[in-house]
Amino acid sequence: MAKKGKADRQDKVARRATAENGPRIGVYVCHCGLNIDGSLDCEEVAKYASSLEGVVLAKDSMYTCSDAGQEQIKSDIREHNLNRVVVASCTPRLHEPTFRAACVEAGLNAYLFEMANIREHCSWVHLHDRQGATEKAKDLVKMSVARARLLQPQVETEVPITPRALVVGGGVAGIQAALDLADAGYKVYLVEKEASIGGRMAQIDKTFPTMDCSICILAPKMSEVGRHPNIELMTLSEVESVDGYIGNFHVRVKKKPRYVTDDCTYCGDCIKDCPQHMPNEFDCGLSTRRAIYSPFAQAVPATYLIDMDSCMNKHGIVACDRCYQACQHKCIDFSQQEEILDLDVGTIIVCTGSDVYDPTPLTELGYRRFPNVITSLEFERLINAGGPTGGNLIRPSDKTVPKSVGFLQCIGSRSKRSNPYCSNICCMNTIKDALLIREHWPDTKIYVFYMDIRAFGKGFEDLLMRARREGVVFIRGIPGEILQDDNSYSLKLIGENTLLSKLYEYEVDMVILSVGIEPRKDSAVVKRLLSLPSMADGFFMEAHPKLRPVDTPTGGIFLAGCAEGPKDIKDSVTQASAAASRANILMAKGKVTVEAITARIDPERCTGCGLCARVCPYGAILVDEETKVATVVEAACTGCGACCPECNFGAITMRHFEDHQILAQIDALAESDAGGKILAFCCNWCSYAGADFSGVSRIQYPAEVRIVRTMCSGRVDPKFVEYAFAKGIAAVLVSGCHIGDCHYINANSQTEKRVQRLWRKMARLGLNKERLRLAWISAAEGMRFSQEISALKEIVEKITPEEIEKGIEAFAPKRLPKGEHPDEATRPV
Amino acid sequence: MKFWRLPLDAEEQIIPVGRLFIIADRCKGCNFCIEFCPNKVLEASPDFNRKGYHPPVMKPNHECNNCGLCEVICPEFAIYSTVEEKRRFTEVDLVRYEEMSSGEGKGEQE
Ligand SMILES: Cc1cc2nc3c(=O)[nH]c(=O)nc-3n(C[C@H](O)[C@H](O)[C@H](O)COP(=O)(O)OP(=O)(O)OC[C@H]3O[C@@H](n4cnc5c(N)ncnc54)[C@H](O)[C@@H]3O)c2cc1C
Ligand code: SF4
Ligand code: SF4
Ligand code: SF4
Ligand code: SF4
Repeated sequence: MAKKGKADRQDKVARRATAENGPRIGVYVCHCGLNIDGSLDCEEVAKYASSLEGVVLAKDSMYTCSDAGQEQIKSDIREHNLNRVVVASCTPRLHEPTFRAACVEAGLNAYLFEMANIREHCSWVHLHDRQGATEKAKDLVKMSVARARLLQPQVETEVPITPRALVVGGGVAGIQAALDLADAGYKVYLVEKEASIGGRMAQIDKTFPTMDCSICILAPKMSEVGRHPNIELMTLSEVESVDGYIGNFHVRVKKKPRYVTDDCTYCGDCIKDCPQHMPNEFDCGLSTRRAIYSPFAQAVPATYLIDMDSCMNKHGIVACDRCYQACQHKCIDFSQQEEILDLDVGTIIVCTGSDVYDPTPLTELGYRRFPNVITSLEFERLINAGGPTGGNLIRPSDKTVPKSVGFLQCIGSRSKRSNPYCSNICCMNTIKDALLIREHWPDTKIYVFYMDIRAFGKGFEDLLMRARREGVVFIRGIPGEILQDDNSYSLKLIGENTLLSKLYEYEVDMVILSVGIEPRKDSAVVKRLLSLPSMADGFFMEAHPKLRPVDTPTGGIFLAGCAEGPKDIKDSVTQASAAASRANILMAKGKVTVEAITARIDPERCTGCGLCARVCPYGAILVDEETKVATVVEAACTGCGACCPECNFGAITMRHFEDHQILAQIDALAESDAGGKILAFCCNWCSYAGADFSGVSRIQYPAEVRIVRTMCSGRVDPKFVEYAFAKGIAAVLVSGCHIGDCHYINANSQTEKRVQRLWRKMARLGLNKERLRLAWISAAEGMRFSQEISALKEIVEKITPEEIEKGIEAFAPKRLPKGEHPDEATRPV
Repeated sequence: MKFWRLPLDAEEQIIPVGRLFIIADRCKGCNFCIEFCPNKVLEASPDFNRKGYHPPVMKPNHECNNCGLCEVICPEFAIYSTVEEKRRFTEVDLVRYEEMSSGEGKGEQE
C-alpha cells in the first residue's frame, strides 16, 4: 500500500509538470520510403496535422525510425519544449518501443508518446484509393493527437525475473534449448509428455542432407540432458496450468508415475513374463511391446516403465506381479502416485513439435486397405537398424524385400483436401530414403512421383543430383489411384505424367507415402494454457515473422522447432538456440519493467460493490469488507481493462487507456462525415494484429474504417459504443480474440455479454442492430478482418440519415452517467 | 494414433490363455471375482445355483489370461484358472488396444 501511495504521488507530480504549459505536441508523418507515401500524401497529412489543436510542429520525413528521424524527434523535444509526440507510421506493434525509447532519451515520459498506424491500417490496405487513404490518414492522425492531448505520464514498476526456465517438449528443439540454458547456468525444467525425450528425431534413421545416423548424433545430447546438474527432466508429464507474467510464471505440472524406480539397471528382465501385449507406438505399431517396457534402446531416462492403462493392475488391485518377481533389484513399485509439481520460472520455451499427416482419408491411395502402402514415418522405422526388422526393408504383406518401390510426394500437403502448405521436409526426406535403399539394395527400382521437388537448403541440390545420378526415376504427377493385385499384393499406380501429358501405369512392390507435417493434435491445450496465437494452419505464431521469429507476443514465452511450423532438424536446433538466447537475455538482466497499463480504483468513488472483482480474470481486485473499498493488486493486474465497464460509479481508471482518452478519439473521428464512417475497436493481441496482417498481406478493404486500439476487447465499455452512435457514427465493430483464445484468460466473454446487452438495448430503442457488429479475429486472420469491414461497409451504405438521427437522439449525451460527460472529459488538461 | 496393421513380430509373441474353472454350486454370490477381475471377463449368470445364487460365467468373446486373482480372492474356493494354451498376437489385441487408448479402459480406472 505504501508503495502504491508513492507511485500515486509521483504520478501527480508528473501530471502537474506537463499540465503547466498545456499540450505541446510534435507530429511526425513517415513516408516509409514509398510504403506509405506511395499511396497517400504524407506532406498533406503533415500540413493538416499542424492545424490541429495543441500541435506545435508537424513534419514529414522519409524514414522516421532511422537514426536521423529519431534524432530529429529528440532535438525537437528539447528545442521546442514538446511534451507529447505523435508518430504516424507503421504499427505500434513494431516501432512503439523504438520511438518511446527516443522520447525517454530526450527526457519525455514514454507514455506521452502516441502512434497513428497509417501503413498496415491505411496505405497498404487502400493501395488504389489515394484520396480515401489520405483522408483516412488525416483522421487517424487527428484521433492520435486528440488522444495524445490527454495522455498522462506513467511510472512503470520493475519486477525481478526468476532465473529459471521451463522447456515444454523434449524433441531435438527442446533438448537443445534446455542444454543451452543449463550450460549458461540456469536451472531448467524440461517437461516431456512421453516416456522418453528425443521426439521425432529419435524415430528416424538417417538425416538429410548429410546422411548422419539420427540417433547416433541425438543420443549423446539426450544423455547429457539426463545427467546435467542444472536440468530437471520430467517425463510422462504435462503442464496443467500457467499463471503469472513475464519473469514470474507459476507453472503446475502433472507427472505420471513410471512405477519403476530410478534403481532400474535397464536389464529388461521384467518384460519377459508380462502377459499384456500391445503395439509399440514408437515403432508406429510395427512391433509389439508389453505393459512394462522401454520405448527404444537409447531412451532417456534409461529406466523401464509400466503403462498402467494396459497393465493388469490398472484397477488399483495387484492382480499380477510377474514383473515384480522377475526384477532382481526390486525396482517395481505399484504404489507410486501421480504428482503435482509447482514450479516458479522466469521464462518458458515451447517446443512441442509436430504430428505427421494420417493419409487414411485419401482412400484412393489405399492406406489401411493395402498392407504394402506405408507412410514415410513407418519407412523410417523399417529401415532403422534399431527398428522392428533390424533395418531390413521388407514389405509388410509377406516380409520379402521389395524389388521396386514408389514414393508419393506431397501426401497431406499442398492440397485443398488436406493441408494447404508445403511441409518443407518430405522432398528431401524421400531423396534421403531413396539413397538409403540404393545403398543397401542397389538393384531396387525406385520411382518418385512428385508435383515439384523442393531442394532449397544448403547441400540439398547436391543430394538430389546424386539421387538422379544413381538412377532414381523422378516422375512428375502424383498417382490418382493405387490398385492392389490380391494375389501378389503388388501395387499398380495410375496417374498422369504432367510433363509429357501422358497417362502412366507403374507396378511396384511397395508404396511409401511421403506424409506431411501437422500441428500436434493436442496443441490446442498448450495454446490455451499459454494464450499463444496460432496461424490458420494451427502452428504457433511468432511475435514478428522476420524480426522476432522465436518470440511469442507474450513476454517471456518463446518458440522453437516444428511447433512453429514444419522444418528440418538444423532449423529446429537453430531456433532452439535462438530461443534459449532470447530467454537468457531476459534472465541475465534479472529484472524487467512491466507496462504501466494497470487499473486503479479511486477509493472516494468506490462503494465496494465488488462487481469489478467478479469479472477480473486474474483475481487482481480485492474488496475490503470493512472499509467497503476495492483495491487493485498491481502486480497481479495485467491491464485487460475488463473491470472498468463494470463499475457504475466511474471509480476505475485504466491507466493509458482512460475513458476520456478513448472518447476523445471517437470525438475526433466523428467531427466530419460521421454518418459514413465505421469505428472498429480492436484488441492489441488478436484483432489489431489481424488488421496489421491484412496490411502486410495487402488485402484491400473499404477506407471508411477507423481503428481504436484497446489492450483487450473487454476494455470496450458499452458507453463508448453508445457515445459513437450519439455522435452519429454509422457503424461500430467490436473485435477481439476468439473465445477460448483471449490473451487475458476469458476477459472477452465479458465483451460478448456486453455486446449482447447492447443489441437488446438497440432493439428496444428501435435501432438497426446491424450497426453494431461483434467479430472474433485472430492475429492470422487478415482476410477475416477485411471481410468484416466490407460487410459493415455494405450495411453503412444502406443506413438512412433518419436512422443515424435516431441513434443520435437515443444515445444523446444526457444519458451518460454524471462525471462522464464527454465535453467535460475531452477538455484538454 | 490408430494402429491397423499386425505388428511384424506378431507371430513371435506368446500370449497365455487361461482356462477358468467355476464350481458353480460352491458360489455364494459375493461377486468379488466379477468386480475385481482385471480383464473384466466375468459376469453373473442368469441361472441360480443350488444355493440360490447367481454364480459367475465367462462373458462371450472374452479371454482369461490366468492372472489367478479370482482364485485368491474367492472366499468359497469356487473359481480357479490354469494355463491351457498359448496364442499369437492377433487383431483382437489391436482392438483391445484401441479401446484402451480411446479411453474406454481408462474410464474404469477412475
Ligand atoms: C518422416 C520424417 C522424416 C524426417 N527426416 C528428417 C531428416 O532426414 N533430416 C532433418 O533434418 N529433419 C527430418 N525430419 C524433421 C525432424 O524430425 C524435425 O525437424 C524435428 O524432429 C523437430 O524437432 P522438434 O523438437 O521441434 O519436435 P519433435 O521432434 O516433434 O518433438 C516434440 C516433443 O515434444 C513432446 N510434446 C508434444 N506436446 C507436448 C506437451 N503438450 N507437453 C510436453 N511435451 C510435449 C513430444 O512428445 C516430443 O517429444 C523428418 C520428419 C519426419 C516426420
Ligand atoms: S504387473 Fe502389469 S506390467 Fe507387470 S507383468 Fe503384470 S501386467 Fe505386466
Ligand atoms: S517438401 Fe516437397 S513433398 Fe513435402 S509438401 Fe513440400 S513440395 Fe510436397
Ligand atoms: S480486470 Fe483486468 S484491468 Fe481490471 S484489475 Fe483485473 S487484470 Fe487488471
Ligand atoms: S468370488 Fe467366489 S463366491 Fe464370490 S462370486 Fe466369485 S465364485 Fe462366487
